Amino acid sequence: MGGPCGEPARAGRLASFAADRARRTASADRWLASLLGGEPGVALVAVGGYGRRELVPGSDLDVLLLHTARQGIAALADRIWYPIWDSGTRLDHAVRRPADAREVARRDVRVALGLLHARHVAGDPGLTGELRSGALADWRAAAGTRLAELHALHKERTARSGELAFLLEPDLKEARGGLRDAEAIHAVAAAWVAPGPGPRARAAQEAILDARHALHEVTGRSSDRLVLQEQDEVARVLGLAHADALLSHLAGAGRTIAYALDHSLRAAQRSRPGASPGGRPRGGRGRGGPQRRPLADGVVEQDGEVVLARPADPAADPVLVLRAAAAAAEAGLALAPRTLARLGQCPPLPVPWPSGARDALVTLLGTGQAAIGAWETLDQEGMLCDLIPGWDRVRNRPQRNPLHIFTVDRHLVETAARAAALTRDVARPDLLLIAALLHDIGKGWPGDHRVTGEVVTRQITRRMGLAAEDTELVARAVRHHLLLPHMATRRDLDDPQTAAQVAAAVGGRPLLELLHALAIADGQATGPAAWNDWKAGLVAGLVRRVEAVLGGGPPPVPLPLRPGQAALAEAGQPAAMVTGSEVTVVAPDRPGLLWQAAGVLAAHRLAVRSANATTHGAMAVTSFTVAQPYGEPPDAALVTSDLRRALAGDLDVAELLKRQGLRTPPQRARPPWLAPPKVTLADDASRAATVVEVRAHNAPGLLWRIGRALGDCGLDVRAARVETLGVEAVDVFYVVGADGRPVTDAATRGLIAAQVLSALTGASHPADVRQAGDLRRMP
Amino acid sequence: MKLITAVIKPFKLDEVKSALQAFGVQGMTVSEASGYGRQRGHTEVYRGAEYQVDLVPKVRLEVLCDDEDADDLIGVVVKSAQTGRIGDGKVWCAPVDTVVRVRTGERGPGAL
Repeated sequence: MGGPCGEPARAGRLASFAADRARRTASADRWLASLLGGEPGVALVAVGGYGRRELVPGSDLDVLLLHTARQGIAALADRIWYPIWDSGTRLDHAVRRPADAREVARRDVRVALGLLHARHVAGDPGLTGELRSGALADWRAAAGTRLAELHALHKERTARSGELAFLLEPDLKEARGGLRDAEAIHAVAAAWVAPGPGPRARAAQEAILDARHALHEVTGRSSDRLVLQEQDEVARVLGLAHADALLSHLAGAGRTIAYALDHSLRAAQRSRPGASPGGRPRGGRGRGGPQRRPLADGVVEQDGEVVLARPADPAADPVLVLRAAAAAAEAGLALAPRTLARLGQCPPLPVPWPSGARDALVTLLGTGQAAIGAWETLDQEGMLCDLIPGWDRVRNRPQRNPLHIFTVDRHLVETAARAAALTRDVARPDLLLIAALLHDIGKGWPGDHRVTGEVVTRQITRRMGLAAEDTELVARAVRHHLLLPHMATRRDLDDPQTAAQVAAAVGGRPLLELLHALAIADGQATGPAAWNDWKAGLVAGLVRRVEAVLGGGPPPVPLPLRPGQAALAEAGQPAAMVTGSEVTVVAPDRPGLLWQAAGVLAAHRLAVRSANATTHGAMAVTSFTVAQPYGEPPDAALVTSDLRRALAGDLDVAELLKRQGLRTPPQRARPPWLAPPKVTLADDASRAATVVEVRAHNAPGLLWRIGRALGDCGLDVRAARVETLGVEAVDVFYVVGADGRPVTDAATRGLIAAQVLSALTGASHPADVRQAGDLRRMP
Repeated sequence: MKLITAVIKPFKLDEVKSALQAFGVQGMTVSEASGYGRQRGHTEVYRGAEYQVDLVPKVRLEVLCDDEDADDLIGVVVKSAQTGRIGDGKVWCAPVDTVVRVRTGERGPGAL
């Protein structure tokens, strides 16, 4: 079976297994025909796996004796069943009239599924034909209910048996991506709401069926669970080199089936009248055509799926693949099949990657659990190997370790997904997510995976275009990703040497923060045996001690002014300039300047990616880097004019934003994967200002909301440094009270943090508002 | 027969395990535990920073042995788990009436 990363096709004994199943089926057919003899008004029908000609050594014979209410049917049934029982063959049997069989199928979805593959074996073919066409017609007529039941069965199986692709001892039949799921794809197709399985899914089904066949042959039992002690022998019988090759082969097949079934079930869901995934009403196809909601540059939502915007040109836009995947994950939707086909035309990303590609990757990973599905889509469409060289070496790679429950590649994605919940705890969420995605990449090479991983990570992150110091930090995080758990569990935490050694190895807080978050995410993504409160407590204890050794680092300071900006400030006049994606605002320093300018930009649908605010003499100079999330770029003259009017006090920014807010589609509820925002207060080195650090998910108007909350507390922003890393905003504000001094009172500092937090979460408590009002009257 | 239970510092587990294996102990049960002893309410002072500690992470180790080996085994655990600082843990020994090996049904010292 050829895989998305170009796995070699495997020949060998495949043909002989399929031939053996056909032989077993033909032999069972002949036997049953001889047992029935030439009786009139009856038919023997093979259903389920036997109906599909999938008899393996441990299979049951699923047989239905159809009749037309004739006399003596019980005696006839005994004459057929007893020889089968006596032979030791396992029999699953029923005796029914066609109408009764259909009635039972209407009540029980499992029976209905078995009848979809009803096959005439012996007797009156007209009876079988009547049952078959009737059962299929019933299935199609009640497709809505039946497919919902099918979906529920699939979910229940997944919850009970896990995923075939990622388990070390998978159940080949029941696990997600196993044989039952392969049958479910056929069942959806039988309802005429989605196409049948493609060649890859059919080949994957055969591969799993062969493994089941080999397992039954090796064990002489009918168990479908591929336990560890049988894996080497099953691999040998299948002509594979060893157990790891077998598991990797099955992982590929299981993922293909699971992916294909997801597609089928989504198509089934979309075909139901008035329904679309996510429960939103389908876009009408009235006069205005289908309703489209912009998600990202060149990517829109339509009918509950993510599709490309009309002007998008995949052939000229290498970043589109990542941007579309990130937008899909953020919206919690799937990419439409036709969109995936078009994304296949995207050229490879240039090396080093443009910053948009890095942002899209970090945005995708930052969506947490939603990233796993989007990543799997990229994998199944064969887009990952070009994106991350070396990924194919960890793809489907099993881990012989009782702690691990996932293959290496899935473990990496799971780690990144869990790291997304910890992005508020680190200064560089983007580097955390990239380090999480790559931390075990070294397992694809021989030797200590931390050492090989460091080397491979340097190559990959350079290719991604990370700055040299960022590459270094990520590579060192990969090298030391086991340092904290190892030291915490194997060294004496009370010995000052332990903390001193770790401090020397990490060198500073940025790496310590990354390693702590990475240890948590890695532990959680390994499996329930690998991480618990006990271990988390030990690691946290070590980190506290190392932090005490390292001491606090200074918060980021605003960047110095460029000569052009300084000259503009020295002119002493309020000015606003739009050059490309940079907007510079110069005005006499006064409270509220920063956030009013941010509000004007938000009203023009300009997303602030970064901002740098500082003063030059009596003038405040703020430069913003902005991006247009979608649509036509705004008119620079109009933005400049609005900024000037706002600076002169002739424009009500709140009113402007409100009007703009009414025109935009309502924001959906906060997605569950989003880590809550975090606000911390510190003092700068010179103790001239209080430093308010804000970490939050970026959103339109974020800077305006934070700034207004600070203003409501009577604070003046002296300087600021705002960064957006992927979708994570890392903002630092240097503020002073009305008296021009830093805020020292603990209660007031608590109120400031609460006020900013409530502005970010949108929850505004009357008490907070009242207290904030009190703050304004502070001396 | 005796059941020896030891609660020790986590980082000492490997050392204690090796010492017990060298003594000839064939099996043991290890679990992750939390607790406190005399250091209850004690505040760690570390480089000037104070941290309130409630429950301290520990490892609990259980070994079944013959009566005559019990004292020596306790000695082995104490020696290998000792750092001399507060929180080193405890070892205790309790009599055991019956031991059954589940696989074979053997009883008594033969099941150890």
